Amino acid sequence: MNIETSQPTERALVRLAADGDAHAIRVLYERYAPRVYAVVRRIAGDDDLAQDYAQEAWIRAIRALPTFRGDSRFSTWLHRIAVNAALQALRKTETRRKHEGPKPADVPIAPVHRDSLLQKRLERALDGLPEGMRRVLILHDVEGYTHEEIGDVLGVTSGTSKSQLFKARSKMRVLLADLDGVLQEPGAEAWSI
Amino acid sequence: MEHLTHERLAALVDGPSTAEEATHLAGCDRCTAELNTLREQVAALGALPELMPPKGDWYVLEAKLRSEGLINNPGNFMRLGLAQTPGWMKAAAAVLLFLSGTGTGVVMTQPGMQEDTSLMADRVVSVEDAASAVRMAEQQYVSAVTEYRQLLADDGGVAVDPINRFAALEHLVRVSQAAVRQAPGDPFLNGFLASAMAERDAALRMVSSGQDNWF
Repeated sequence: MNIETSQPTERALVRLAADGDAHAIRVLYERYAPRVYAVVRRIAGDDDLAQDYAQEAWIRAIRALPTFRGDSRFSTWLHRIAVNAALQALRKTETRRKHEGPKPADVPIAPVHRDSLLQKRLERALDGLPEGMRRVLILHDVEGYTHEEIGDVLGVTSGTSKSQLFKARSKMRVLLADLDGVLQEPGAEAWSI
Repeated sequence: MEHLTHERLAALVDGPSTAEEATHLAGCDRCTAELNTLREQVAALGALPELMPPKGDWYVLEAKLRSEGLINNPGNFMRLGLAQTPGWMKAAAAVLLFLSGTGTGVVMTQPGMQEDTSLMADRVVSVEDAASAVRMAEQQYVSAVTEYRQLLADDGGVAVDPINRFAALEHLVRVSQAAVRQAPGDPFLNGFLASAMAERDAALRMVSSGQDNWF
């Protein structure tokens, strides 16, 4: 999807949205909601959390619109807000869970859409990664962040980011191999939508 | 040299290898195959698609934005005065949408326009078609409201035949039903359809009771 083709229109939309124009905000939402939801969903690893995190990201973005100067693309600016919002919300969720005691056994979460088997396997394996590894893997291999950018966002060194990434890729490889075994069993499609 | 570890192979996906590692990979099918698998994995991750948020997400968000005062103007529809327009005026606007002339104050049927949108409703084969049909109806509706308000301000406006009014609303219902068939869970489309049906039923009751002086 090419979302950068109509910059003048988008600038006008952003200005209107910054003034609180409901129609402009709706148009921006419809244009970018899938991208925001995708990155937030993958970071959250959970559908219910993802919706909350995505909404928080949008609220932050709309609130911050008057400060958007257009130095970067709106999509890039929004994406960074979404990532930060999701990471911050996830940290809060983790802290709350620690205080509440051990959480129930993880229930496998199926991907939202009826897409290719490969996508289902990847989404499921992503959900199975430990939090730290998943964040780095998503930011680097899915979203294309550099290790320096990941360091800025996560507050770690680029060396730590690299180390986590290589571990995450390796773990992902194992999870995907395990899923191959599951998917070859009769009735293995039960988890897929 | 022993086989390369998984983590080391993961690093070689997009990083340089030492001379020793390169020599090993050149002669080791197992490590080469594993490295290629990891490369495919990374490529597949980079190609993952966007994901649609849950249905109704916008409406939840809109309510939150309003509660926080981040939507501080009423939007285009409200600016046009739709929110202050009584239901029967909206219905009259729909009549004008399909039946009125071009601001001359003479009410006349425009079969071409009605046929176009009717056909559009019948040809709906996708959500995009449905959304397009409703958008067209919505745009025409707004135009009609504007025109109707203009006529209200003009004492020379001519009353609209209630039967034609009912026919216009019936058409609007058909367009909306076609849209809802394609996206049955969409709350906006369902709300649009419910409003159109209510107006149509009210018009039908008016015709049945012979109240032709509603204007």
